[in-house]
Amino acid sequence: MAKSICTALREGALEGELAPALTIKDSIASPFGLQVFDHVLSQLFSSILAGKSPSQGLILVSFSRSPSFYLELLKNKGISVASSDKRIQILDCYNDPLGWKDQLVEISSTVTVFREVKHMDKLFNSIIELGRGLVGGGKIRFSIAIDLVDEMLRRASVSSVARLLSNLRSHEQISSIFWLLHSDLHKARVTAVLEYLSSMVASLEPSHQLANGQRGDLENFALIEHNSKKGKFHVRFKKRNGRVRVMSEEVHMEQAGVNFTPLSSEGAINQGLVPKVQFNLQLSEKERIDKANVVLPFEHQGDNGKPLQIYDGRRSLVDSKQERAVAVEKEESDSQRGEIIYYRDSDDEMPDSDEDPDDDLDI
Amino acid sequence: MAAAKTRSSSFSGNLSSAASSLGPGLKCGPNGTVLLSSGIPDLDKILGGGFPLGSLVMVMEDAEAPHHMLLLRNFMSQGLVHSQPLLYASPARDPRGFLGTLPSPAASKDDKSRGPEPDQLQEKGLRIAWQYKKYFGENQLNFDGQRDGKHKYSNEFNLRNPLERHFINGQRVDCFSIQDSPDLSILQDRCTTFLSQLPRNDGSISCAGRIAIQSFCAPQCVYSNMEWEMLSFIRSLKNMVQSSNSVAIITFPPSLLSPSFCKRWQHMADTLLSVKAIQDDDKELAQLLTGYQDMIGFLNVHKVARINTQVPVILEATTFSIKLQKRRYLILECLNQAPVDGSSGTSYGTSGSCSSSSKTGNLDF
Repeated sequence: MAKSICTALREGALEGELAPALTIKDSIASPFGLQVFDHVLSQLFSSILAGKSPSQGLILVSFSRSPSFYLELLKNKGISVASSDKRIQILDCYNDPLGWKDQLVEISSTVTVFREVKHMDKLFNSIIELGRGLVGGGKIRFSIAIDLVDEMLRRASVSSVARLLSNLRSHEQISSIFWLLHSDLHKARVTAVLEYLSSMVASLEPSHQLANGQRGDLENFALIEHNSKKGKFHVRFKKRNGRVRVMSEEVHMEQAGVNFTPLSSEGAINQGLVPKVQFNLQLSEKERIDKANVVLPFEHQGDNGKPLQIYDGRRSLVDSKQERAVAVEKEESDSQRGEIIYYRDSDDEMPDSDEDPDDDLDI
Repeated sequence: MAAAKTRSSSFSGNLSSAASSLGPGLKCGPNGTVLLSSGIPDLDKILGGGFPLGSLVMVMEDAEAPHHMLLLRNFMSQGLVHSQPLLYASPARDPRGFLGTLPSPAASKDDKSRGPEPDQLQEKGLRIAWQYKKYFGENQLNFDGQRDGKHKYSNEFNLRNPLERHFINGQRVDCFSIQDSPDLSILQDRCTTFLSQLPRNDGSISCAGRIAIQSFCAPQCVYSNMEWEMLSFIRSLKNMVQSSNSVAIITFPPSLLSPSFCKRWQHMADTLLSVKAIQDDDKELAQLLTGYQDMIGFLNVHKVARINTQVPVILEATTFSIKLQKRRYLILECLNQAPVDGSSGTSYGTSGSCSSSSKTGNLDF
């Protein structure tokens, strides 16, 4: 649930705990990662501005988009950056990451250019410095948003990126941190590392899986188009008590951004409260009708008390009819007294005979 | 004369007379081994008494839950309570800070009571003991508690109370961070110096040492992509530990290793455990197991150390649920099936999974 993520990021870390960290991961099949990132960013920043969070500022490390894009984005969301100069700082790793350009035109006071993305420790220092400059030193906290971790992984080793992220998480002035990852650009181990380092993992998946991963088929085009507007948003929270909370939502791409709605019933997880057993306890309609039609081999059954003729294979039909008719009448007259009417299994057998039926076996 | 004693198997060795003079926190185990406690009485019971000296214990972590920390905390606290030297290595910047979270032993007064209160047990009449095996442990528990004098072999630890300072200071407690070491030589040297203090002789064992290495292949460590080096470190540690009076415990997240190395590491272990996270609000699991609400995770015992013997250990159950009783005491319980569900083995395979990958959990009853 996007709301719970934003709440968790907003609340930040408790004393002595690592800061909550969110990984947003997407793939080519469901490429809304950047839009979800923007959504979370604007939500978090507006709560910081509104004073609802212990975090006093936000540092945005932008790799994949120009800082002016973010300033525009925040303006469009109705958050005026000019007045919130003291609350957000953007570390620009987009314009000149490797220090090739001699000089850059400064965009605004909120943007600081960073030129050494190959060196993770320098990046760490810059982030902390920028944060301290924003909120001051001491115990005041700030949040961090990292645009695209893929760009960091392009230039530095996995262990140095992991070290940067874990040091940021354990820094006492960081309230919360989140980042975006395109999971199909990396080996599985890299995604596993980033999931290991985060306390919440939000993944975007297509609502319909494409058959065999082939994207050229005609039938698949409709699915691809469908997937380009909608997707599934799964979140795994690592709670403090050691349990994992799994939640899912649907995400829709719209002009204004992304929209989250609860999952439609086609993907329902709850299957009712009937316990799983190996045999089927429910009856279908046809089965119910058939069941009502089954003639049970009990006596005194049938319409209006008329005796039912059940051929038991031992006597002729006529005899049995008569005998049963007698019995039924007798029972009807003696209904008050509650008699037990018993028919012996075999009419050859004498009552209470001492004969051992096994005697005639030749053993 | 040893012949007068009953032997558990014809391959067991003679217990030497030196075994009688053991230091605190040590006891004799089967086949001439000496055991020390893991800090969790339930785990000791499952493993047949505790960890044997000279063995390497490996714990496979779950990236989604910090349960391995609970195991480590109890292990380290138990060692400190018995004044056993401790070496702790972790990828955190400040490993000494972790010592502040170690639990203190529970006072014998507020001993936890398992099962129903004594008054209820005096009920006359027929009682149906649903899941009767739960009640077996009670009698044994009371008996064990009375035996020891000052030094109990194994303590219950209260996770709410931190360990008193005097246990940590003035002890041979060595902590260091493995995050910035470019390679494993520093860790190797520290372990060598630590273990050289605890050589194994045929004489009496005055004290045993404990080594705890947390999250060995954590991604923030520089050496974490040097897989062969890590494996050879584990092998050399195992050899050093075998010829000394100590137990080493290494925890690692298997999802961060390549599958072949993961298997190799598992084979290195004498005792192999794994912890798994449990999903919150899982209705299927709640229907399948009783006591689901109190569980915080699962513990699987994959391998139990067998030293000086060829006879394998076959456990009654290998999956246990981890619970925090009264939110303080770590207990391990066998999984008990809920009464309503009448399904057989096939349904567990699908309902036990709680990780994001498609592998299904193994619930072994």
